[in-house]
Amino acid sequence: MEFLTPLIGLYAAAAAVPVLLLLYFLKLKRREMLVSSTLLWKRAVQDLQVNAPFQKLRRNLLLMLQLLALAAILLALAGPVLALRRGPGQRYVLLIDRSASMNATDVRPTRLDVAKKQAKAFIETMLGGSALSWRDQSDHAMVIAFDQRAGVVCSFTSDKRQLMTRIDAIEPGDGASRLGEAVTVARAFAQSTGAEAAGGTGQKSAQLILFSDGRIVDLADVVVGADELVFHRIGEAANNVGITAMNARRSYERPEEVEVFASIENFGTEPVTRDVQLSISGNVHAVRSVTVPACEKETADRPFRPGQTTLNWSLSHGEAGVLEVRQLGADALSCDDAAWSVLDPPKRLSVLLVTQGNPVLESALKACPISTLDPCTPAGFDALDPAAFAARQQYDVVVLDNHVPAHLPPCRYLIFGAPPAGIDVNSPRELENQLVVDWRAQHPVLQYVNLTNLFATRSHGLELPRDAEVLAEFNESPAVALLHRRGGTFLLVGFDVLQSNWPFEPSFVLFCYNAMSYLGAEAGGQRQRERVVGEPITVENASADATFTVTCPGGAKIGAKADPGGTVRFPGTHRVGVYAVETAGQPRQFFAVNLLESQESRIEPQEKIELSGVAVSAQEQGVQRANVPLWPLLTLAALLFVCIEWLAYTLKIRI
Amino acid sequence: MPTTRTTRKLSELLDPKFMARLDSLDLLSRKILQGKLQGERRSKRRGRSVEFADHRPYVVGDDLRFVDWNVYGRLEQLFLKLFLEEQDLTVHILVDASASMSVGEPAKGLFAKRLAAALGYVTLADNNRLTISLFGDGIRAQLPNMRGRNYLPQMAEMLLATECDGLSDFEKACRDVETGRIGSGVTIVISDFFFKRGYESALRRLIGARYDLYVIQILSPQEISPELSGDLRLLDIEDADAAEITVSSALIKYYKCNLAAYCDELRNFCTNRGAVYVQANSADSVETLVLNYLRRIQLLR
Repeated sequence: MEFLTPLIGLYAAAAAVPVLLLLYFLKLKRREMLVSSTLLWKRAVQDLQVNAPFQKLRRNLLLMLQLLALAAILLALAGPVLALRRGPGQRYVLLIDRSASMNATDVRPTRLDVAKKQAKAFIETMLGGSALSWRDQSDHAMVIAFDQRAGVVCSFTSDKRQLMTRIDAIEPGDGASRLGEAVTVARAFAQSTGAEAAGGTGQKSAQLILFSDGRIVDLADVVVGADELVFHRIGEAANNVGITAMNARRSYERPEEVEVFASIENFGTEPVTRDVQLSISGNVHAVRSVTVPACEKETADRPFRPGQTTLNWSLSHGEAGVLEVRQLGADALSCDDAAWSVLDPPKRLSVLLVTQGNPVLESALKACPISTLDPCTPAGFDALDPAAFAARQQYDVVVLDNHVPAHLPPCRYLIFGAPPAGIDVNSPRELENQLVVDWRAQHPVLQYVNLTNLFATRSHGLELPRDAEVLAEFNESPAVALLHRRGGTFLLVGFDVLQSNWPFEPSFVLFCYNAMSYLGAEAGGQRQRERVVGEPITVENASADATFTVTCPGGAKIGAKADPGGTVRFPGTHRVGVYAVETAGQPRQFFAVNLLESQESRIEPQEKIELSGVAVSAQEQGVQRANVPLWPLLTLAALLFVCIEWLAYTLKIRI
Repeated sequence: MPTTRTTRKLSELLDPKFMARLDSLDLLSRKILQGKLQGERRSKRRGRSVEFADHRPYVVGDDLRFVDWNVYGRLEQLFLKLFLEEQDLTVHILVDASASMSVGEPAKGLFAKRLAAALGYVTLADNNRLTISLFGDGIRAQLPNMRGRNYLPQMAEMLLATECDGLSDFEKACRDVETGRIGSGVTIVISDFFFKRGYESALRRLIGARYDLYVIQILSPQEISPELSGDLRLLDIEDADAAEITVSSALIKYYKCNLAAYCDELRNFCTNRGAVYVQANSADSVETLVLNYLRRIQLLR
């Protein structure tokens, strides 16, 4: 048996026991009575004392009963627990899933609230830290809340109040759930501070307690020991209909036209008919009723497949706006019922071509649907004032043909040949006779582009930073790469087209078309306006130290400041919806934050989660109590003792 | 009219109807019944003896007046008629008037006085010699050697005038009585016999060859079965001795056992020494005790 709060019990005992004894002595104020002779009474009292030792006990029976009742109450105050499985003070890491699916309301009020409640119940059963604890090793716990990112809510402590307060403060998020980072963080904390705190028992790894519905994307990547993780399943229902994909883009050829695509999925076992509404900047544009088939259950040879229906709208909208696709039926999870897209006003590209003279490139670009194509010599480009260039925003895309410019004003660049300085790309050596060995055909830049026959006689070996995206590779070096630096986007091609056979390939024209389309639409406009949950909103090219106001979907306004580099970063995109960023003197910018994660929309709780190699089943009961609290029993015993005392007193009086 | 005043005072102790019934009673002494036969010793009041007891053969020197001539006529032998002696009986009544007798509901003291008055009435009505002593810490009041109904008002006044008060010293009272009494007769002690220093040596003084001893112990109903509750501090009314008790069924049981043992001890002490022990409850009526119980044990006839 252990005591959770022995100090309180001791204090109360120190106060209460003397008081009871005092009261008992005070109680013995006897009534005086005249009798003819005390002779026989004295003899009787003597007989009572001498002849019956049990009677002596009986005389003090009331006091004994009172003491017993008091002892029971005091013990109850000390918070005794029956330790079911105890070692030295354990360390626990509570992993609380706060991803989108935890917002489901199938258990009231929400799954996250239930998880928090269970976590707090778990904290309550922990052994409390006290200077007077029998073993000076109390339980320590840390709390990590995770969606895509893991956040340490409370690091290792035995302070239950702090733990509870911090657990209460966990905010729901709309992100996907990824456990890997949380486990990594937990291990890091458990090894560093935990080893000191537990005083030599650092060998024992902390117990991970997971409160989740089990819908975790990266389960297969998480490695835990056999008994390291305890999984508490939260949630009951599976029925949910959610929008899992949504895209809106202007046609490249006819910028007035907007194509809206959405995919709606049904995770329930019954087909459902739902109204889907498309609205532009709050005005309803169309409502369409769709029937989504039932999901296909998981079988041995086939994975789970939700019932899916896709929707397409074609509309003409010549202004900026926010598109919203919303399914109107109510279900357990609301954050996947809508998706948003931010539409820029239609715009044709104006392109600056910096070249010594490259007719191939020029003609390829001319074939693209761009509004203006201004040729410029390298010397002319270097002579431009970069600040004025950035401020005017005259050109959407700059094409650098075999020129390393003296300065790089922020813009979208398509660069052939040597990479410019200042974007963390080095070109230490020149390569010869390179063949393309691999390329990413799925990337929008390389759509329908076949690079099989591309051969470059001379090429720049590119050394890219880690965040660069390699789109095509020569046998020794990356050939085409995409990079975001200094508020601009750089599409790098590591060789001069005139030193390759590319101009003779049809893929070259396609590449130029795709590159213009990507840099103009994706990189230039759309890509910067759409985020998944948790991805920060960034606004480039702000004047330094400008103050921005971010209006969140809930209506909260949060201030943000630009860093000296002119970039505003707002990381608080935990909820889905439309975020508006405002600053003095500039039009309001909208950013759409979407969930669009099928795994999160599938809210059916997992009975068993399959980590890499280890299957962890959900616990039977909500929270496995490590300690059974004994105070209710003791309180009952105290009540019983008081009743017996009353009975004894009454019997004694009635003689 | 002093006579009516004192008579009324006696009537405070005894009911007139009761007194009428007491007139027909006589007080007896067992010792006299057993041995005091006329002829063995001269009676002072010869002519009054009429009660035949027995015959015995004549021996030289016997009074010829007592020879039964009818028997001589039939048997031609001389027999003497033996008659019971009509004894001049001395009755000594000792009444406890210490403070302990004032306790009880009804009070033991009043019961004792009424009993003494009844016995005294019988004695005086039969022209026997009566001495009444009220004792506490020694003899507190005494009316010695009364004879005849004339003394009844005086007796009543003394009994009523003396309050039950003060300590008790039974030993000293008995010593005084023993030295003061003469002749033979009956001694009656009325008390609760709660003497802390014991009653044995005192009673031994009163038991003698010439005196019948009657011991009448009076207990109040509260003493016989106490109805107490709670934590009490019992104070002795005489010496203010305190006993702290917490009333429980066990304690009450022990008390009753002790009381029974105490009374038995007294009874055994008396019977072993030829004295008669009577226990009385102050809640009972004196009439019943006198008319029924005392006649049954042949103190009265």
